[in-house]
Amino acid sequence: MKPFQYIKAKSTGEALKSKTALGQFIGGGTNLVDLMKKHIALPDQVIDLKGAVSTAMDKHGDGLRIGAGVSNTAVSINATVLEQYPLIAKAILAGASPQIRNMATVGGNLLQRTRCPYFYDLSTPCNKRAKGTGCGAKDGLQRMSAVIGYTDSCIAVHPSDLCVALVALDAQVGITSKAGKEGKMAFRDFHRLPGDTPHLDNHLPEGSLITHIDVVKNPYAAHCAYVKVRDRASYAFALVSVAAALEIKNGKIVSARLASGGVAHKPWRWFSAEKFLAGKAATEENFEKAAALIQKEIKPLAGNEFKSELLYGAVQTALKQCI
Amino acid sequence: MNDPRVEAREKVTGSAKYAAEYAVPGTVYAVMVGSTVAHGKIKSMATEKAAAAEGVLRVITHLQKPTVHGLSTEALQAETRFGLPVFHTDKIHFKGQPIAIVVAQSLEEATYAGTLIQVEYEVLPHEVDFWEARKKVALSPAGKDRGQGAAWTGEAQSVEQEYTIATEVHHPMEMHATIAHWTDDNHLKLYDKNQGVVGVQRSLSRLFNIPAANVEVFSEFVGGGFGSGLRVWSNTLAAAMAAKAVNKPVKLMLTRQQMFSLVGYRPAAWQKIKLSADAQGKLVGVHHQAQNASSSYENFNDGITRVTRLIYAIPHVKTEASIVPLNVSSPTWMRGPGDCTGDFAVESALDELAYTLGLDPVELRYKNFSLDKHPDNGLPWSTNYIKECVEMGAKMIGWDKRPKAVKSLVSGDWYTGYGMAVGAWNAGRGTASAGMVLDGEGKLIVRTAMTDIGTGTGTGMQNMAHTFTGISKDKISIELGHSSLPTAGSQGGSTGLSSISGAVDAVSQALKAAILELAIKKDASWSGVKGADILLDAAGAKASGKSIAYSVLIQQNGGEPIRVEASSSPGEERKKYAFLSSAAHFVRLSVHRLTGKVRIEKYACVADGGSIVNAQAAANQMSGAVVGGIGMTLMEEALVDAKVGGWVGDDLAGYHFAVNADAPIVEIDFVNKPDVNINPSGAKGLGEVGIIGSAAAISNAIYNAIGKRVRDLPITPDKLLK
Repeated sequence: MKPFQYIKAKSTGEALKSKTALGQFIGGGTNLVDLMKKHIALPDQVIDLKGAVSTAMDKHGDGLRIGAGVSNTAVSINATVLEQYPLIAKAILAGASPQIRNMATVGGNLLQRTRCPYFYDLSTPCNKRAKGTGCGAKDGLQRMSAVIGYTDSCIAVHPSDLCVALVALDAQVGITSKAGKEGKMAFRDFHRLPGDTPHLDNHLPEGSLITHIDVVKNPYAAHCAYVKVRDRASYAFALVSVAAALEIKNGKIVSARLASGGVAHKPWRWFSAEKFLAGKAATEENFEKAAALIQKEIKPLAGNEFKSELLYGAVQTALKQCI
Repeated sequence: MNDPRVEAREKVTGSAKYAAEYAVPGTVYAVMVGSTVAHGKIKSMATEKAAAAEGVLRVITHLQKPTVHGLSTEALQAETRFGLPVFHTDKIHFKGQPIAIVVAQSLEEATYAGTLIQVEYEVLPHEVDFWEARKKVALSPAGKDRGQGAAWTGEAQSVEQEYTIATEVHHPMEMHATIAHWTDDNHLKLYDKNQGVVGVQRSLSRLFNIPAANVEVFSEFVGGGFGSGLRVWSNTLAAAMAAKAVNKPVKLMLTRQQMFSLVGYRPAAWQKIKLSADAQGKLVGVHHQAQNASSSYENFNDGITRVTRLIYAIPHVKTEASIVPLNVSSPTWMRGPGDCTGDFAVESALDELAYTLGLDPVELRYKNFSLDKHPDNGLPWSTNYIKECVEMGAKMIGWDKRPKAVKSLVSGDWYTGYGMAVGAWNAGRGTASAGMVLDGEGKLIVRTAMTDIGTGTGTGMQNMAHTFTGISKDKISIELGHSSLPTAGSQGGSTGLSSISGAVDAVSQALKAAILELAIKKDASWSGVKGADILLDAAGAKASGKSIAYSVLIQQNGGEPIRVEASSSPGEERKKYAFLSSAAHFVRLSVHRLTGKVRIEKYACVADGGSIVNAQAAANQMSGAVVGGIGMTLMEEALVDAKVGGWVGDDLAGYHFAVNADAPIVEIDFVNKPDVNINPSGAKGLGEVGIIGSAAAISNAIYNAIGKRVRDLPITPDKLLK
């Protein structure tokens, strides 16, 4: 590990003020510490946010505000979440292990880096790790790579489960800028597609801090599911995952939300399938059609063609589990 | 017997010390830096920056090193049989090959300094793709043809298929680690993770040209081995070299990433099988071909076709094999080595044949077991209860509920199927010694150099010492895993308990003989007593109506505890009989139609391990092997990128082994009949048979569930959706 300066910030303001260009904020550290051990992240300064950012979960308007410092575990067992936003708890529990969920924070979850094996291997090129070096995965192993929204410069996927639920529920990200200005960003706009700048994962302005997540009131608590297909039953990143949420009245779908992990550089919304389902009967036949629509949208790589069939199956499974 | 493990309290409370956990005052840290290319030559190395980094004490490379005697010439390298002469060559044979050691005050400093070393290579083309390279390697006979070899006739049905398995890595929880401490120029203390302290002692003695007695090896607790600890690897050498260079104790722990390249693995393998039977299901012939990957500097033969010649009476047999050299590190034995790879192919082919013949897979096996003799060498089995294993396992799983037709048990999107397979292993026994120390209070210490890699060797020794002497178990303590204790071989190949049982029996007899001698000294009337008749209880020794207190015996011994040591080896019985451990594996599982998820619902495994010395430890060992088998079958795969020249995703996020959620509570039972010829305890080793058979049982159940035959391990969800 490269030597670094450790700062424990007492407030958001202090954290923002302390940060140098090569400094990094640390929440639970469940990703950053690994990256530092592997000499992928080489901060000269680490600013601990424990005590600086909110760990509260409060009612906000008719929705819920989750402090950036709340642990994944705390979110997953919160009574309001379980009652009104169970999709979030389902997604969290599909990821990592209890030990990691205890440490990991909500803010940090949004900022975790890809798990693309080439990103982790310093002996291979990676545009995300080292700008302009090339992509090791492009003609390499693509089992865990993207099927949509990728470019020649990067085919990596975002690894989060929580973010898939948050994008499905149209959450908002609360941000405080370096200058101390408070603002917010729609969750669906927070993460980036790789384009030709895959070293940038998201649109969080340089030097600013995620302070909270707002989840707005929604009608999906009764009919939602999170399906994660992976190479073992627990503690593995998704080959593909699907967050599905339906608003159903008298057997008819009023509105639908569908999002996936393991498919793109960002948590991905399936808007056309959502539109297709709205107004239709909640039947297996319509679920199959929605899955087929999604299947048509994606462009698997030579090394992950199986994801087409897998996604097709996972979408249907998630929709079926909603009812 | 269901006694708790002798080391249970230490393990549960954390006081058990593993190699890297010993506190040796003044210890500094070393890390090994690996090559970033797979094949070539080191042109130059710039180590100045690393050497100047904070906390760094020394950088060792092939250019600046304390030369190790046993690696100093090619002739000595051949003699010491250490393997690749790391730090004594500029040649690169694989990506990750250790090329430098950095020694620093702290682990963090050593690790960071390692990244500052700059190396220039002369890069040569590499070959790491087994599936391409194997096509260029011809097969050679593996064993003598039986009958007409592959030129048989008279079959009604045949199955001819290819089978493959990906590279698997042992990944014991405890990573390989060494603390090396030169107490003077010629005396080396090693705290080392391995499966045999005597092997480490001999190897280091040869390498550093010092008497074996000068190398003291501690391996009291070993956090899993699975075969990776059966060799002395670069970490042990590097720690000893570094300790010599800085004249301080040095601790070297491999990283999880280094565990992929530096301590062996189960090689990827290709197999082809042709298996034929007559219309009644009697096997006519088998032709088994196999290739396994190896390194470019060592030929490792995994022995894949061995099991094909072991279980069934097949009149015509031809087995062929070859080794495929690659620019990767050397593989090594991994649990059920060779046999569990070969068994997957044979037992899958048998299942296919059963469907073709319209026979129950259990029936097909009953018709063909070679229950009287070893089918190759013709020696009668001492005991062979493989059929009993199958009978018991079939009952446990409810085999009568298995649908004959595939895809016929459906519930929603889940398809349920049943599968079975058998596994077998030559039951071995090696030479081993044990010592006993009996004090005036009747407390007994039983000791041996053998390690306990988690199998319960110590507990087994306590159980056997109780049986052989009569001393109650709470008075028997165990010492093992240290080179100054009575010598014993490595713990591998399912020979540990079998070997040590002979030693415990022999030393128990020696103890009784010593007691008798002391008793006679005190009271001449003991001279009529036979040593074998002596039984020890809480008060003292008893025989033929006589008794003598421990305190009196110790008095007769000059106030000293009674110390005995004895050795035991296999003998003539090996010429008269063949010995077999076996197991039957039965699985019920469901496959999800839409996501390819496999859910193992019930797993029953019944083994013939002779007499079961400790049922709990034995079942624990079997169950662990089965979970290893689930990993092997459904998920374990070290991924290779030919362009990169080595492993990709070489961490525990990229390499999946089974977690608790992947396995049901594995149901284990034993035939539990003694093999009276193998050793004094009647026990046969169980280390391998818990995994041999698992892969075919699971894949056969998948076929029964969804009608899809997967012959390519691991069976990940994508292979079931295609």
